[in-house]
Amino acid sequence: MTGELTAALSAEYAAIFAYGPIGVQLTGAEQAAARAAEAAHRTLRDALVVSLTGSGLPPAAAAYRLPEPVVDRAAALRVAISVEEKTAAVWRAALSATVDAQRRQALEALTGCAVRATRWRRFAKIDPITVAFPGKAPA
Amino acid sequence: MVLTDVVPGGDEKDKTPLRVRRRAVLAFGAALTVGAAGGCGLLDREPDEPPPPDPLLPLADDAVRLAALHRSAAAELPERAAALTAIAEAHEAHARELARIMATPAPSPAASGSAGTPATAEERIESLRVAEKAAYEAAVQACLRTPNHRAALVGSIAAARATHLEALK
Repeated sequence: MTGELTAALSAEYAAIFAYGPIGVQLTGAEQAAARAAEAAHRTLRDALVVSLTGSGLPPAAAAYRLPEPVVDRAAALRVAISVEEKTAAVWRAALSATVDAQRRQALEALTGCAVRATRWRRFAKIDPITVAFPGKAPA
Repeated sequence: MVLTDVVPGGDEKDKTPLRVRRRAVLAFGAALTVGAAGGCGLLDREPDEPPPPDPLLPLADDAVRLAALHRSAAAELPERAAALTAIAEAHEAHARELARIMATPAPSPAASGSAGTPATAEERIESLRVAEKAAYEAAVQACLRTPNHRAALVGSIAAARATHLEALK
């Protein structure tokens, strides 16, 4: 059970890291959304740290590889979508490895990531803004 | 007296009406036929002892119903047709996947989901949101109760329904 949650923790560290450069390239409502998303990922990370205490927590890395350089607004939106899709995938995987409170934690996290990805697709004018199976790799 | 204890009701056995026994045999045969022709026979009521319905069946029913609701809304609201059609397709994909893991026949599309009362576009979207929200909450509960090997699919469906609420804003 802890393997999947440890993977989720690493993904959350990476998400928090990514929202730094993402926020720099955005303004207005999009920047506010980036700040809210970063805060949400910090909350998920903190809950995981509590959940995993005593099971050998992976440390946060100094830096994470981004899918592309965040050089402008369009890149920021693409990376934000990517971040939410990747975190959704690790949380979806955690569902199969958890029960009860941890399953609920994983489901709430998956849902939050999926909803944020939807918002970023709307900002990026990607159509459709929804996917059929959030967190599942496209067939 | 001893014989009565050893073979209780020996006389009654012979009095069992032939018609009753024949009916039991026929029912057994019918159950076999239904089982063979209709997969697990989850939707059939004829067998004397139908298998308990799969706990995910209500989730699949919701998916079929929501797909029909969004299809009919898409037909009536052309300016939102693309988004509504994408949501309808997601619900249809959910119904197919649920049918696959439940090993039931693929669900047929529901009849038109239109309530029959013409409403404004806003009212129409709001009614979809109400339906999605209820279906989302049902999927959350199903995900928390389902065995591990089904949790990813059911959780993904719950999350998808939450994104539909976002898309219907």
